[in-house]
Amino acid sequence: MDPSVVEFLAEDQMVNIVPSFSCDRVFLICGEVGPFRAGLPVKVPIWLALNLRQRQKCRVLPPDWMNVEQLLQAKEEESQSRFFNKMPSEHYMVEGRLLLGIAAEDIPQADEIRTILKDIWDIRMSKLRSSIDAFIKTGGTHAKLDHLTDMEINSIRPLLPHALDEMFSLQRVVRTHIFLYISNIFLSRNNSSALLLHYFIIST
Amino acid sequence: MEEFGDAISSEEETVTAQKVLKTLKDIWLNERNCPELLQHQTDVVDCMLDQIHQMEDNLCKLKKNDFRVVIHRQELDRIRYIIADYLRVRINKIEQYAIHILEQEGKRSPEDAVLSPAELKFAREFVANMESHFTLVALRHMPSNFQHFDKDKLTIAPNISSHVFLRAKRNITGVVIEGDSENRDEEVDLDENSQHIMQYKPIAEYVKSGAVQLI
Repeated sequence: MDPSVVEFLAEDQMVNIVPSFSCDRVFLICGEVGPFRAGLPVKVPIWLALNLRQRQKCRVLPPDWMNVEQLLQAKEEESQSRFFNKMPSEHYMVEGRLLLGIAAEDIPQADEIRTILKDIWDIRMSKLRSSIDAFIKTGGTHAKLDHLTDMEINSIRPLLPHALDEMFSLQRVVRTHIFLYISNIFLSRNNSSALLLHYFIIST
Repeated sequence: MEEFGDAISSEEETVTAQKVLKTLKDIWLNERNCPELLQHQTDVVDCMLDQIHQMEDNLCKLKKNDFRVVIHRQELDRIRYIIADYLRVRINKIEQYAIHILEQEGKRSPEDAVLSPAELKFAREFVANMESHFTLVALRHMPSNFQHFDKDKLTIAPNISSHVFLRAKRNITGVVIEGDSENRDEEVDLDENSQHIMQYKPIAEYVKSGAVQLI
């Protein structure tokens, strides 16, 4: 998938804004938003928040987790732990990028937050790379990916599934060759037992 | 104001529209990440298109400079993108696996058809056009014993043992993964909301029943 598709999905997440206009409820297909009262916070999807912000019709309130203290703590925990921690948001990186990109003035300490988010991303990506390396070396067929966000999964999509596909088909070739080899030995000795073995292999 | 009253009277409908949108999103992601063609969801797509048309009619009644128009338009564009991309992904798969899909489709009863009627027509025409094109451009200039159009040699089947990312929507026990080189089979349990990477084949049934979401 293209990263823009993941971004598209993340844009459906909700965020609080403070509108600078008043309007009744709006009935969208994805649910109703509003009513908008100037100065009162209201929850809207990110795509709508970005649209309104670009037209200077609102101020974006940063999500609860988007502050330096919480993120520093998350970063600390992430670097301490061998496993992946649960992130405060399913789409922390995309949300951070979108909101900080368009509404940086609305979010206190935007530059620090941006740096910490990038740090967390880097820590997690290097963990991900080393665990994939270990996973492939042990010849695993299945892995649990709990607490990985969509964007992180998407970043390994071009590589990991295809590597596993290739390994699987190589193993299949190896397996059939071993069977053929064994059945050839039998064939040279005894025709009927080879046929039996062959039948056994095919039926299993 | 008209739109306001309209929505109140049919509050139930707005709730379902929301659900339909959620379903549409799920089937879109499944189709995008699934190696084989999944069953067609014409009902969901048609229902969503109806919603879009209704909304567009309502929008025409609003004043041009109404601020709500822009919001609604953007939402409609987003939904239209999902529908278009969903259908495009399906068409891509149909073109790639046309012969294989038609062959499989012939063995199914009309109730569990994978292709929608329009897609079926498209697939048939696609294969027919391909055949006549090959015949016209190359095959008829060949020696007579090579002129036969061999469909079997052109068949591409999706690789259903390819690996996919998935999220379990409920607890599933005892998914059997085909063994490694020592030929041992492995059994895994999927907990609700856990994420995994594994072969598509063992979980194909769960994708179709909706117990598993591909991501």
